[in-house]
Amino acid sequence: MMLLRREFTKLVFQKRSYVGWGGLLAVPLLVSLALYLNRNNHHPGGGPGGVVSLARHDGLFMPIAAILLLSAFLLPLLASMVGAYQLAGESETGTMKTWLMHSISRGGVLASKWGIAMIYVGIGLVLVFVGGLIGGGLAFGLHAPLLLSGQTVSVGHGLWLTLLSFLYVFVAVGCVLSLALLFATFTNSSLTAAVAALVVVIVMGILEAFSYFDFLKPYLFTSHTDAWQGFLSQPIDWHPIWTGLVTFAIYIAALMAAAWYQFRRKDILV
Amino acid sequence: MTTPTEHPDSAPAALDGGGAPAHGTLTGEPPIVLATHDLTKRFAKTLAVDRLNLTVRRGDVFGFLGPNGAGKTTTIRMIVGLIFPTSGYATVIDHQVPRDKIEALKHMGGFVEVPAFYGNMSARRNLRLMGSLNGQVEEQRIAEVLDIVGLSERADSKVGDYSHGMKQRLGIANALINQPELVILDEPTSGLDPQGMKDVRELVRELGTRGTTVFLSSHLLHEVEQVCNRAAILNKGRVVIEGPVSELHPEHSSVKVLTSDQERARQIVAALVGAQQVTVDEEYLIVEANNDAAREMVSRLVAEGIGVDAVIPAREQGLEDFFLGLTQSSDVDAGGAAGVAGGAR
Repeated sequence: MMLLRREFTKLVFQKRSYVGWGGLLAVPLLVSLALYLNRNNHHPGGGPGGVVSLARHDGLFMPIAAILLLSAFLLPLLASMVGAYQLAGESETGTMKTWLMHSISRGGVLASKWGIAMIYVGIGLVLVFVGGLIGGGLAFGLHAPLLLSGQTVSVGHGLWLTLLSFLYVFVAVGCVLSLALLFATFTNSSLTAAVAALVVVIVMGILEAFSYFDFLKPYLFTSHTDAWQGFLSQPIDWHPIWTGLVTFAIYIAALMAAAWYQFRRKDILV
Repeated sequence: MTTPTEHPDSAPAALDGGGAPAHGTLTGEPPIVLATHDLTKRFAKTLAVDRLNLTVRRGDVFGFLGPNGAGKTTTIRMIVGLIFPTSGYATVIDHQVPRDKIEALKHMGGFVEVPAFYGNMSARRNLRLMGSLNGQVEEQRIAEVLDIVGLSERADSKVGDYSHGMKQRLGIANALINQPELVILDEPTSGLDPQGMKDVRELVRELGTRGTTVFLSSHLLHEVEQVCNRAAILNKGRVVIEGPVSELHPEHSSVKVLTSDQERARQIVAALVGAQQVTVDEEYLIVEANNDAAREMVSRLVAEGIGVDAVIPAREQGLEDFFLGLTQSSDVDAGGAAGVAGGAR
C-alpha cells in the first residue's frame, strides 16, 4: 500500500493524467450535446444502435452510450498507454532506476504500477459515468429506464445496473492494461509497448470477425467485452457475464505473472 | 607502492575483500562496508566486468577510476541491484546483492549516471517521495540535505526547470536523504562547470571527513586524487591497480629543461638518469624523470655551475598513458602474453 500511495502522488502531479481524464469526461458530455441537437432526427445514421437510441429518450442511458462509443477505440488506447507508461515510460525518463535504487521489491513495484494504472482507468470510468448522468440528465432527463429486454425498472435500479455494467467494463479494460504492462517489461519505449498491446487487441477483434476462427472466440478476451449488456435485461443474463469475468481474471493473472517473471530479473540499463 | 594486481587465480590472496568479515577485523582495520566477489557481467559477447574483487572500508572515500567503457557504471548497477551479475556477487554491510538486495539498499544511497527525478514536482517533493521509500523522512532532514547541496533557495521550483548541475546536486541530496552508511556517486561532476565541480568535490571531501563511506566513480585521475583516500583503476572490466591514492601517482613523467649550457647539462643529466632518458627537442632537453629525479637533477646542475633557466613539465601524463604503462608492465610480468586483459584483475 505504501508504494501505491507513492504512485498516486506521482499520478496527481502528472499533467497527462488530467488530459486523459478530461477527454473521458468530455465524451459523454459531447454525446449528450450531439444527441440533444439532433433530437428531432429519428434516424441516427447507423450509430451504435439500441443503447444510444434509448439514451435519446432517457438520460440514464447516457453513461452506457458513452462507454459503448469509448470501448471501440479510445478506452483500449488509454488503457494501453497508461499500462505501458507505468514501466517503460519511467525507464524512458530514467526515473525507474532512481525508484529501484530504494529498498523496495520489484514484485511490489509491479503490483503498485498495475494498481495505479487500474485506479487511473477507474477514475476515468467514474468521470464517464458522472459526465453521462449530468449530460444525459440535462439533455433528456433521468426517467425510469426501459431495459433492452422490454421491462421498465426504477431510476435507482437503473443506476445500479449501469454501475454494474461499468464495473464489468473496468475489469475488461484490466486485460488491455495488463497486456501493455507485460509488453512494457520487454522494452524501454512506452510507445512500443502501447502499440504492441493495441495491435494484439485489434488482431483479436479481426479474428472474431471471421467465422472460420469461431473456435477461438471463447478464448479471446475481446469477444467477452460486450457481455455487460446482460445487466440491461431482466432477469440479468449472468452466464455471459460470469464467463467474461472468469476469462478476464485468467488473462490478467497470466499476463501479470508473465510480467513479474520478466521484470524480476530485468536489467535496468536506462 | 601499490602494485598492479596479479593473475586471477592468485588475486584473492592479495585483496583484503575476498571473504573477509564485514564487521571487525583482526588487524583493527575499519569494517568492510562494500565488497565485490568475483563480480562478473557479460552482455551477449561483451564481457563488461570480469571477476571483479574490490573492498571498501568504513570511512573510505573510494575512487573508482577508469576510462569511458571500462565497466564502472556496470559495476555500480550490479552493486545497487539494477542489473544482475552473470556470476559473483557484492556485499553491502552483511547483505549479499542481488540475493538480499532490499536489505542492502537500506544502507545505500546514490545515483547511477545522470540523476533522474520527476520534473513536474519540486525538489522538496521529489526528496519527500524518494526518501519515504526507505522509511520516514522528516521535513527537517529534507531541508538539511537541500542546504548541504546549496539548493535551499530553489527547493520549491519544479525539477523540470533545473539545470544539469542542479540535478546533479539534487542527486547528491537524494543520496544523503536517508543518511546511508554507503554513498555511491557515479561521475558526480560530469557535465558540471568548474565551480560546480569544485563544489561537488568539496562536498564529497566533507562527507569523508564526517565518516560517511563514499564510493565515487570517475574518469578523472586528478579528481580522485583530490577527494579520495583509496582508489581502484578499472580497465576493460578488470581492476588494474588498487590501493591508497597517495600511491597511485604515475611513476614516470618528463620535464623540459633549459639551461645556460645545454650540451654540458645534457652530459651531466645523462650521467645522472641514463643516456636513454635524455633527448634534445629544439632548444630544450627532454628528460624522463619523476619529481624526485627532477629535483636532484636541478640540484646537480646548479652545483656544477650551470644556470637553470626553466624546468617545465613536458607532458601531463594522463590516465590513458598511465593505463598503458600499467598494461606494458603487466605484459612483462606475465611473460609478455597476458597484459591487462589477460593477467591483471
